[in-house]
Amino acid sequence: MFSIERSGEEHRKLAYNSNKCVGCGICTDVCPTSSLRLGPLVPIARGLIEMDLISVNQDSCVFCGLCSVACPFDSLSLSINGEEIKNMSNYPKWETESKVDDDDCMYCGRCNEICPRDSILFERHLPNPADLVRGEIEINKEKCIYCSFCADMCPAGAINIKNFPTSSVDVLNNSIEVDLSKCIFCGVCKRVCPEDAIKQICSTCMLREEIEVPEISGETIILEDSCVNCSWCSEICPVDAITVTKPFEGKLELVENEADDKICKGDSCHACQDVCPCNAVTIVDGKSVTNLDFCNLCGACVTACPQNIRVLTRTGMKLTNINSESWNEILNQLLAGK
Amino acid sequence: MAVKIDPDKCGHIENCPVQGLCIKLCEQGAIIEENGDVSIVPENCDDCDLCIQNCPNQAISKA
Repeated sequence: MFSIERSGEEHRKLAYNSNKCVGCGICTDVCPTSSLRLGPLVPIARGLIEMDLISVNQDSCVFCGLCSVACPFDSLSLSINGEEIKNMSNYPKWETESKVDDDDCMYCGRCNEICPRDSILFERHLPNPADLVRGEIEINKEKCIYCSFCADMCPAGAINIKNFPTSSVDVLNNSIEVDLSKCIFCGVCKRVCPEDAIKQICSTCMLREEIEVPEISGETIILEDSCVNCSWCSEICPVDAITVTKPFEGKLELVENEADDKICKGDSCHACQDVCPCNAVTIVDGKSVTNLDFCNLCGACVTACPQNIRVLTRTGMKLTNINSESWNEILNQLLAGK
Repeated sequence: MAVKIDPDKCGHIENCPVQGLCIKLCEQGAIIEENGDVSIVPENCDDCDLCIQNCPNQAISKA
């Protein structure tokens, strides 16, 4: 986190939110005064060093704001007289987005489990299973000998028998209860009971017209603050309820050069895997493999690779409304890749 | 091929900003602590160059 400011005719402030930063280094690539520096990515990612991924030289920063518009993750923001330039109509904007269509979402929660950034909040309300089955069950405690056959066999785990230790054998110190929120009136207990102590009727079939169709409701929210538009959520969603617009189009390749001994060392190194904000990198058979479906082409792994064998090619980016010619030139250098 | 450490640049753990970052980074056991200093075990080195890239003192290079 840093925040630097300068007052002249205007008051300009550059603020860095380290929570959103992925260490891609795009800001350092575009800074015209080389005032931003990317810290040691791998040691930070591995928790060996505690420091921000980005630092600024406030003496040389000219507060132009290029870094803040270039950052696809909204980690840097420049404000002029208190207003963020990202909210001004004449400044560039990222058209990236990850959104859930509430009408299509069935609240299964798979996106919430898979999100590498913990950026998805999810809650759901399931119907009470007891409302979907009908029946009756009764245990004759005079007949019951608390043998536990029924409890041991109950497929729903609905029968609870307690045997309290006492000085003499006394059935009064035993108890048997059926948890009606779990019982499905299947009758296994009745069939297994050696004493014929259980009466059970299942009326689910007979009453099925009366039983309401269960409704599952809920809410799935993608937190813009930490989402990096990797699209794990949209890929995993079984009903295509999530759409993701990534910041870049293009590809990332591993280009080894055996003559120069520039080859992926896989498990010994795994720097790429450690810095990837998208969980898109795995080591397969000793080599780094990037799943481009989940990669947002941020380029953090390219910087982190000590072998320098990762080649990023960006063919398109979702940064629009670039009105200045010089900014257009600088920002389009991101398309050259690295 | 392994790596070598320039003793003039190396922080020798005590004066390293991260108290032996190379030792902590190397998962091959090719850079270890020995008598309070950094020591290289060449046969364990996989030439991944992670230590070279990340040494805060730029003290490590190819042997």
